[in-house]
Amino acid sequence: MLPSNLLTVWKRKGIIQPRYAQLSAENLQVAKKLIEAHKHGIGKKKKNLKKVADTFEDEGYDYHFVRGLSLLLDRRSVFKCTSKANPFTLRQKIFQATGKNGPATTMVQRRSIIEEVAAQLEISGEELEEMIYADLESELILKEFKPVSTLDLLEEYNLSLAQTLLFDATELRFTVSGNWQNIFFKTKRLGLIYEAYKEDKIWVRIDGPVSLFKLTRRYGTSLAKLLPAIISSPKWTIEAKILWKFTNKIYTFKLESWKHSPVFGTKKTIEAYDSAVEENFANRFTALNSGWRLKREPEPVIAGKYVLIPDFSFEREDAKLYMEVVGFWTTEYLMRKIAKLKKIKEHMLIAVDESLSCERLTKLEKQKRLNIVYYRKKIPLPPILRYLQDSYNKTRIQQTDFLKNLKVTFTEPVIKFEEFAKRIGVSTEVVRAVLTEKIPNNYVPLPNSLIRKDKLEKLKKRLDRQIDKTGRIALNKATQIAQKEQVDLTSAISTLGYRIIWHGINTENAEIVKVEK
Amino acid sequence: MVRLWFDKGTILLKGDVGTPYGKWDPRVGCFRIKALYYRDVLGYFEESKIPFEDNVQQLPPLETLKSTVQLRSYQESALERWQRNENKGVLVLPTAAGKTYIALKAVDVLRVQALIVVPTLDLIDQWRSRIKEWLGVESGAVGGGENNVRMITVATYDSAYLQAAFLGNRFRLIVFDEVHHLASPSYMQIAEMYTAPYRMGLTATYERIDERHQLLPRLVGDLVFSVEVDELAGKHLAPYTYEKKFVELSMKDQQLYDREMEIFRRYLRENRIVMKSPRDFQRFIMRTGRDPRAREALLARNRALKTALNSQEKITALGKMLERNKKEKALIFTLHTDLVYAISRQFLIPAITYLTPKKERREILESFRKGNYNTIVTSQVLDEGIDVPDATMGYILSGTGSTRAYIQRLGRLLRKVEGKKARLIEIVSKETLEVRMSRRRTQKSAEGKK
Repeated sequence: MLPSNLLTVWKRKGIIQPRYAQLSAENLQVAKKLIEAHKHGIGKKKKNLKKVADTFEDEGYDYHFVRGLSLLLDRRSVFKCTSKANPFTLRQKIFQATGKNGPATTMVQRRSIIEEVAAQLEISGEELEEMIYADLESELILKEFKPVSTLDLLEEYNLSLAQTLLFDATELRFTVSGNWQNIFFKTKRLGLIYEAYKEDKIWVRIDGPVSLFKLTRRYGTSLAKLLPAIISSPKWTIEAKILWKFTNKIYTFKLESWKHSPVFGTKKTIEAYDSAVEENFANRFTALNSGWRLKREPEPVIAGKYVLIPDFSFEREDAKLYMEVVGFWTTEYLMRKIAKLKKIKEHMLIAVDESLSCERLTKLEKQKRLNIVYYRKKIPLPPILRYLQDSYNKTRIQQTDFLKNLKVTFTEPVIKFEEFAKRIGVSTEVVRAVLTEKIPNNYVPLPNSLIRKDKLEKLKKRLDRQIDKTGRIALNKATQIAQKEQVDLTSAISTLGYRIIWHGINTENAEIVKVEK
Repeated sequence: MVRLWFDKGTILLKGDVGTPYGKWDPRVGCFRIKALYYRDVLGYFEESKIPFEDNVQQLPPLETLKSTVQLRSYQESALERWQRNENKGVLVLPTAAGKTYIALKAVDVLRVQALIVVPTLDLIDQWRSRIKEWLGVESGAVGGGENNVRMITVATYDSAYLQAAFLGNRFRLIVFDEVHHLASPSYMQIAEMYTAPYRMGLTATYERIDERHQLLPRLVGDLVFSVEVDELAGKHLAPYTYEKKFVELSMKDQQLYDREMEIFRRYLRENRIVMKSPRDFQRFIMRTGRDPRAREALLARNRALKTALNSQEKITALGKMLERNKKEKALIFTLHTDLVYAISRQFLIPAITYLTPKKERREILESFRKGNYNTIVTSQVLDEGIDVPDATMGYILSGTGSTRAYIQRLGRLLRKVEGKKARLIEIVSKETLEVRMSRRRTQKSAEGKK
């Protein structure tokens, strides 16, 4: 973050953007020179560094850019006052000597005071003059400097610009592909309020309590502090409303990961688990190969005015369930959580650590219908698998019933299971099971589709005609013929009564022949 | 039952009824009300006979006060008018007229938890020592690294603004020292985010150039009492005289000045910019952000002004005057930090700028008060409210062009000491823009007094 007088922006048609530093050879050169000035400036006064920066400004480089970089470098530096005597006590001595006699208005008077104090301290008059204000910022000596690469410096500068622009933000909305828990945690700690809603994805809008009454920049600094958490997710889209102080107009400030990740540099995120319990569970569950896909920190679930961020999601075909792991808890806390859960459509499991309870479980025991799994040390797998299987089966039965009762007449030559499943909103598995069990009239089942009988016959005739001439045809040719009839040859081949002969691994040389009966 | 509680600088209301003050907040499913209206909301419920449960305030414990505050007659009547206005409102009194006494008397009379909001860290120290001296209790402080809330707490505007979410419900009385600051867009939120039903504003300069003082009645209450410098001068305050000394620039400086100023003027001419008001200047500053030539013009103007301000002739002139008045307690004001340090080095006198550490600042002011130092050179930091008990001379080496700062710098010298006549001398370079700035300021202050 930079002081706002170092922010530079462009505005057009209601859009505002910082003037990011291009990662160009020229800018990298400026960064390099400034970094070197700091590296070589150890042991010298701070005002020397300013002189180097000033020369760039004189050469016509944008002063926002030059001063911004310098400031970031100063923050990586340690400046110290190296004067032998403490300048403050030294000044006190001098000023007391001047004291009641009034200011040293003559050269003689001045010299005598300096010499008197210098003699007391056993130093020379020149040394004393040098030390009077050695503790002023510009007089400090550069002691340490933590080096940085030119590219990292420019990226840090760009991120700082974006944060500085956010100082004037009245609200911010975003969607991310991960890191939800961390973002919400920070949001709360910064005293902000969020509101989640679903459009194409889950979007979160953030502002603060007072925002209800008026547009205010009050929460801008907090929003700026939140930015690094948001962009440490792999994918993100951010939109902030900026109340620009000079014009008092509202502008939109947009950030998108595909475009701005390179500008800010890609910050690596490590998938860190909140606890060993969660990590242990994830490892054991994945090792099972149960057919369920486990995802950590899936996207949040909207529960009325609130958002629940489950620890895990389980996915299988289009069945999706969530699980939250609760460590330390009170009955009241769990009750509140359950009240929230009642507002959501999704299925949620809660794993509760028995040993960390601070109350008796009796109250909860009665609530058997809740999906609570108790654990000590390890989250047990069997009850969870059972629960997953149950709800999977339940959905499956529901869907099967639905499909069986569904009155459809098929006319298309080919019905692909997956497409059909999507169209009516059930899982592909259910479609496959139902349609191969009770095959519609005039259709023949293939592994991933149904094909109309006449279509199959037509294709068969065409292929037969070719094969009758030579006994075999090239696989490529056969595939082409099948494609004309919108049939995937490989899945239909055995139904047609053919098989493939491979001559090496190249499909060019493969051929198909009739299966001998 | 309606329930009210405090939430980060606002009041949340849960219940079936709304109020004329609240607004439905769909984010949390409650009514949300500005803390400023706390008193009104309670009044509304009481009048409407709606039962409610009030959990808004979290007050620190009361302490026993041993007050020794005695008010002068005009202070007495100021307090009386404020109390008659339901313990709300702004009092306008010149610097050194004892605003602190009135505020502390109000705390003593009401005996409630009070927050005193001040512009600078120095003023925190000053108020705290007054509280100790006159009310006989230790006070809390928020700002400058301290964070401790007591029955009487002193905070800077900055901290009061930033901490509003945590401090907003902890006081019954809030006193704004130098209340004209409160009207700025961000600081006004202090008034809006604190629940304190009793409010007092103190200032020597009620009016702001930007007219925003019109917001103060809503935030603090109406202007209930006002007394001018001239009404008190001679009677309660030491009178002062004001002189202006012109200094010619050296040949070299004059040439440099003319050359740089011409760059600036040419830019204005070529772009048909007319500078009449501070607003025009602000617009020009905005321009410098996008137009490199405008920025170059601005830098040239700044270099010219710096030449005029820092001219060696001025320092020489200052030296002569200091020589003549060597035994007088004096303050030297200048706008530029560099110049402050140059003067400090030259005359071997203590300097105070925004860079001066708190400890050193305190030491300098203390020694000055005791008479161990008799001259201080300073940039703007002493502008407001800091007591410099018996300075008899003031020198201005540059001005800010603002009426308020001007009056308050005067005020610094207006301390009542028997048989003393304060003098204020402004040292201005001849025939430069500065003369105009200085003239404008004098004019404005004259208009203000009419």
